[in-house]
Amino acid sequence: MKLISLLCNGMLVSIELFVLTLLFALPLGLIVAFGRRSKNILISGITGIYISVMRGTPLMLQLVVVYFGPYYIFERTIDRFTAAVVALALNYAAYFAEIYRGGIDSIPKGQYEAGEVLGFTRMQVFFRIVLPQVVKRILPAISNEVITLVKDTALVTAIGVAEMFKAAQTESSRILSVRPLFVAGAFYYVMNLVIERFFRFAEKKLDYYK
Amino acid sequence: MIEASDIYKSFDGNAILKGISFQVNKGEVVAIIGPSGSGKSTLLRCINLLEKIDRGRITVENEVMVSTNDSGKAVYADKKNLRKIRLKLGLVFQSFNLFPHFSVMQNITDAPVNVAGISKDEARKIARELLVKMGLEDKADAYPCNLSGGQCQRVAIARALALNPDVLFFDEPTSALDPQLTMEVLRVIRKLAQENMTMVVVTHEMGFAREVADRVIFMDNGVIVEEGTPEEVFNNPSNEKTRAFIKGFDK
Repeated sequence: MKLISLLCNGMLVSIELFVLTLLFALPLGLIVAFGRRSKNILISGITGIYISVMRGTPLMLQLVVVYFGPYYIFERTIDRFTAAVVALALNYAAYFAEIYRGGIDSIPKGQYEAGEVLGFTRMQVFFRIVLPQVVKRILPAISNEVITLVKDTALVTAIGVAEMFKAAQTESSRILSVRPLFVAGAFYYVMNLVIERFFRFAEKKLDYYK
Repeated sequence: MIEASDIYKSFDGNAILKGISFQVNKGEVVAIIGPSGSGKSTLLRCINLLEKIDRGRITVENEVMVSTNDSGKAVYADKKNLRKIRLKLGLVFQSFNLFPHFSVMQNITDAPVNVAGISKDEARKIARELLVKMGLEDKADAYPCNLSGGQCQRVAIARALALNPDVLFFDEPTSALDPQLTMEVLRVIRKLAQENMTMVVVTHEMGFAREVADRVIFMDNGVIVEEGTPEEVFNNPSNEKTRAFIKGFDK
């Protein structure tokens, strides 16, 4: 029982990380996707490099850089949890950006043109006509990332954030048993089961049109 | 009503429109015919602001959409005026371009509500009347994916009409449809013609052009080769190219 409440406390931190990361990464990814699609080569170039670096280096390294970087460069420390959210959001935004970009590119030009001749502004065309169709198309790819994110929250132990995996590991070595790790594993799995269900539901919801 | 003069448009150095001038008068149905690649669709897209012209002048009800300055560059009206002009024009596409995530009703009412600022109830009322006219009164809640091509195109026509445009343009409205579905769409356009709707139709349906159009324009290779009443263009074409083109269709 004590183990469960211990892990539950850790899980709350994991969930907090998860939610905050999504909250920042999902919109940020859209902005990065816009940048990537920009006709301005400077903007598309910079976002291209950003995506390339974020996807091309270990997330754990990025966590460490975001947390310790300010200390080495400016001799200032930031909160571990904040650093974790920043690093995760920056990393996931890169992946989301590429998913959005693929989705946006897959919408036929005729949809934009139809919106345009009906007098919609470019913003209206994007948010009323294009984005809803993009969401339907990218849901499976997004669900992949979201499920991976649940598991990646465990990486923040690298900068000492006390989330569920850390709690399980500590408890495991304290009582010399593998049980806490199994229970933590079950917790992660259940979280992802819920997420899987959610996406299946969302896909079904959007199944009303082709 | 619409006056276009000396329109030039090229894509990557490829001249598509080479000095097109024509006008559309109120209540008139103009058919534009011609071989593929002759610039018919580009012309329509230029007038509907989907492409920007390189040179020339277009006015809609005496309001200048675009004119050419002294150094030979096309200058468009400001955004606000262009929006105003745009609402006077409606365009129906070859591939319908309905919004798949909207029901038929939403497809028709979305622009009137969110662009023209008409109340939802009013927009729905207009939409229902249009659907009756299109013979689709039972399809208001259907989604485009559940409709036939002919039904989709009629919804697209209703969607364009819902904004009450002064001129309605059709860009090969039946080219994606089989003969039977073509008939139902042409029937609707014919009905609009009888109501004196001003229309410009790019089409390969020669019989339809001959029957419905007040004026026929034959385009080839980026220029207007011949222009006149259907009688003149179809029965008595003065140009060699027109004659060859029409003969090819009669076979």
